[in-house]
Amino acid sequence: MEQLTNLVVSEGELSNIARVLGRLALDTGASYTILLDKSGQLIASHGQGHRDLTALGALMAGAFSSSRQVAEILGEQDFRSILQQGVQESILSTLVGNQWLLVVVFEQQTHVGLVKVLARKSSDELERILDRVRHGGVQARQQVVDVQFRADVANTIDSLFQD
Amino acid sequence: MALINVAKREIQCKIVYYGTGFCGKTTNLQYIHSHAPQPARGDLLSIATESERTLFFDFLPLDLGQVHGFRVRFALYTVPGQVLYERTRVAVLNGVDGIVFVADSSPDKLEENFQNLLELEMNMRRMGRDLGSFPFIMQWNKRDLPDAVPTQTLERYLNRRRAPSFNASALTGEGVFPTLRAICKGVMGSL
Repeated sequence: MEQLTNLVVSEGELSNIARVLGRLALDTGASYTILLDKSGQLIASHGQGHRDLTALGALMAGAFSSSRQVAEILGEQDFRSILQQGVQESILSTLVGNQWLLVVVFEQQTHVGLVKVLARKSSDELERILDRVRHGGVQARQQVVDVQFRADVANTIDSLFQD
Repeated sequence: MALINVAKREIQCKIVYYGTGFCGKTTNLQYIHSHAPQPARGDLLSIATESERTLFFDFLPLDLGQVHGFRVRFALYTVPGQVLYERTRVAVLNGVDGIVFVADSSPDKLEENFQNLLELEMNMRRMGRDLGSFPFIMQWNKRDLPDAVPTQTLERYLNRRRAPSFNASALTGEGVFPTLRAICKGVMGSL
């Protein structure tokens, strides 16, 4: 499967994504709603608290990639969602298109079926937004990542990572 | 897949350390974690078995701080090296922006290195990527071994693409940061 080389998220589209995540959190009473790309990088999140979302993103994307390999062994194309149930909280991860992942962290008293239905609805909305994002980013990328930017990042890398 | 978040003014890239079991991928990350300056390094996350071998991956986020108003971050991953875990390696490669191939310089590991490299090439092809046009660095690790295979031999058998290569001894830290600098710059150059 061909993979994207990069994704450029504009301010306008990020607020559209934030709106979908916020509404999903409100409707399900979720403590967190998170949008990741499948490589584990956090695109946007909604929620409060001090959880390490960077590590959570890497682990959730890893778990999902692993499940895809399981699906392949079973002859399935992929698993569209994974549910991890805890005593206090549970996590539902749902594929958005083929490149992204919607993660909902919710408390035990919330009905799983409700979360599944609303997450699927949000996933469809997010897919439409992300389709626009993936087709509209070239110009924005060129504005950010120019020759001078690359040179300055290289200097930062040299000064930070010394022997 | 590099993520350029214009709204959050953030750039995130993913780098994977690939190689055979016990070649020193995790040791690279451990050295970086213990020697990179404090604000730049995040927590090292390892999913290992009781025998301390990587079961799924290691994960180390690095934060370069602000450049031109953008926060630049690299996420370093390792794959489990054992042959058994090929499917897991494919999973970890998902969305990768740059790869370091850590080759074990022990003479009895030469064939295993070669097979592992072939597997990596195949996995990348399946993802529609060609290692030849991709940020890719070779690291000749364990150069401190008394019977280490000469680097010319490693270059001849494992580096037909003439990717940039570095001698290293990850245990002592030799070559770890030069490798890291090269792959980070390679990834930025390809954005």
